[in-house]
Amino acid sequence: MTIGSFILKNALRNKRRATLSVLSVAVSLFLLVTLLVALRELTIPPEDAGAALRVVVRSRISLANPLPARQRPIIERIPGVEAVSPFTWFGGNFKNEEGMTFAQFAMDPKLLRPIFGEAKMPEDQYEAFEKDQRSCILGKLTAEKYKLKVGDRITLASTIYPATLEFRIAGIYSGTIDDRNLLFHHKYFDEATGDLGQVGTWWVKVRSAEDMPRVTTAINAAFANSSSEVRAETERAFQLSFISMLGNVKLLVASISTVVVFTLILVTASTMSMAIRERFRELAVLKALGFRRRELFAFILAESFGLAVTGAVLGAGGAYFLYNYGNISKMTNGIFITFEVTPKIVGIAILVATGLGIVASIAPSISVARTSVVDGLKTLD
Amino acid sequence: MAEANIVTVRKLSKIYRQGDINVTALNQISLDIKTGEILTLMGPSGSGKTTLLHIIAGIDRPTSGECRVQDIDVTRLNESQLADWRNQNVGFVFQTFNLIPVLTAYENVELPLLLTRLGRKQRRHQVNTALELVGLGDRSHHLPRQLSGGQEQRVAIARALVTSPSLVVADEPTGNLDSHSAQEVLSILQSLSQSAGKTVIMVTHDPKAAAFGSRSIHLEKGELTN
Repeated sequence: MTIGSFILKNALRNKRRATLSVLSVAVSLFLLVTLLVALRELTIPPEDAGAALRVVVRSRISLANPLPARQRPIIERIPGVEAVSPFTWFGGNFKNEEGMTFAQFAMDPKLLRPIFGEAKMPEDQYEAFEKDQRSCILGKLTAEKYKLKVGDRITLASTIYPATLEFRIAGIYSGTIDDRNLLFHHKYFDEATGDLGQVGTWWVKVRSAEDMPRVTTAINAAFANSSSEVRAETERAFQLSFISMLGNVKLLVASISTVVVFTLILVTASTMSMAIRERFRELAVLKALGFRRRELFAFILAESFGLAVTGAVLGAGGAYFLYNYGNISKMTNGIFITFEVTPKIVGIAILVATGLGIVASIAPSISVARTSVVDGLKTLD
Repeated sequence: MAEANIVTVRKLSKIYRQGDINVTALNQISLDIKTGEILTLMGPSGSGKTTLLHIIAGIDRPTSGECRVQDIDVTRLNESQLADWRNQNVGFVFQTFNLIPVLTAYENVELPLLLTRLGRKQRRHQVNTALELVGLGDRSHHLPRQLSGGQEQRVAIARALVTSPSLVVADEPTGNLDSHSAQEVLSILQSLSQSAGKTVIMVTHDPKAAAFGSRSIHLEKGELTN
């Protein structure tokens, strides 16, 4: 027998309790990892490869306010600007679905490749899209979800404009961070909505990263004090502004995480106290045989630590494999495209488990230290 | 030549505090115990015999007085020194056996050796020798619940012997046993003294058990009466 096998036998003496304790730690840490990943995905959304050179221009008043189409040539003339495309949210419902399950944007198809170079599609599909004003291209995820293929026709009824549009799918793209969107011709949109001369936003491709600050400042300045003042910002800043609309998500998730960890500590500490209390007499016998306080502390700590770490391996490890290797888009019905359990999050889970193991062993260790051999021997089995 | 004293107790007192009342468990006890003898401590409940045993064995501390075992005043050792001293010098046999239920007989006996520097092979040799000595060589892989009361107590004696201590303390070792098993246990303790030269101090209420001892002393209200 070794000290390790002695500790293991003690930890597993009440198998049901040990299993339930490990499972409670596992479930809690799974939840904690899920919350931390969700928080990360919400506050640090994934970024497209080309995002570093894209600027989004929207109305300074609100995203819901349209911009005049006549702004385009003014933006195009700003030094450092390579391409400018309108980008208008159509807000269409597919089939009879109650909510919108994928986004649709009207844009200039000729500028798809210059602005969104990461979207990959066969050459013939690019050409077909550019040629046919009533065609659209669809992200791979949406195409797979609805089993749609090139040549199929789909109809979308806008919830914003009094228009229902029918499209022929000219291509299916992939390679972007969010392969769900539908893109179609802005001319088709203009035609269907009575040529309002309006766009939702402008998406601008800038020549180099060095040009980014100057271009955004120049665009903002170009329309300052006009009837349609704009707010130009990087794609990243634009994405993050959506998160701020969700309110203080960080505080909410942090609060829930704290409650999870606190509950976890209470459960584990209670389990450890119970396990040690019923062994008081045995621990007194060990003391009589010559085991010192520090060795008994080590036994209790090892048992508590083992319990917490086993739970962490199951919970955090389970989350790691599920989220990193599972089809998260399918699992969340498209709400999350990526749900990456980063090494930092795994580290936090291990740290919580380690702390848990230590904290849960403190109370039983103190009571064992305080109890003399004689008092311990008097306790009932 | 007179045999040397293994235990020398001088003016040993133990006073417990129970609420507002002081209870004198031992009152100025002085006592010598010779190497190799079997001393039985007798007396009514609450007379202080178990307290005296615990102080000699180093698991309790006196309020005053001196208790020397092999010329070491155990009352002056700190917790850690006392733990080491117990491991090397004292073997314990309890009334309720106090074996660890999740460990086999072999593992229970091996437990005190985990604190020593002995290798696995040497530990195995010592554990098997101790189990053979109490006649349980064939039961080494049984858990305590698979053994009879008498066998459990014999395992406890093997555990007490495995570190080759010079002193074995037994607190009513036959209190939970039938007469046959009690006889076996007492015979083992007697042979320890006679053939291995161990000093055995045994607390008992049973005059038959006391008869196995080479000397018997009586306590009453914390004082020696003979």
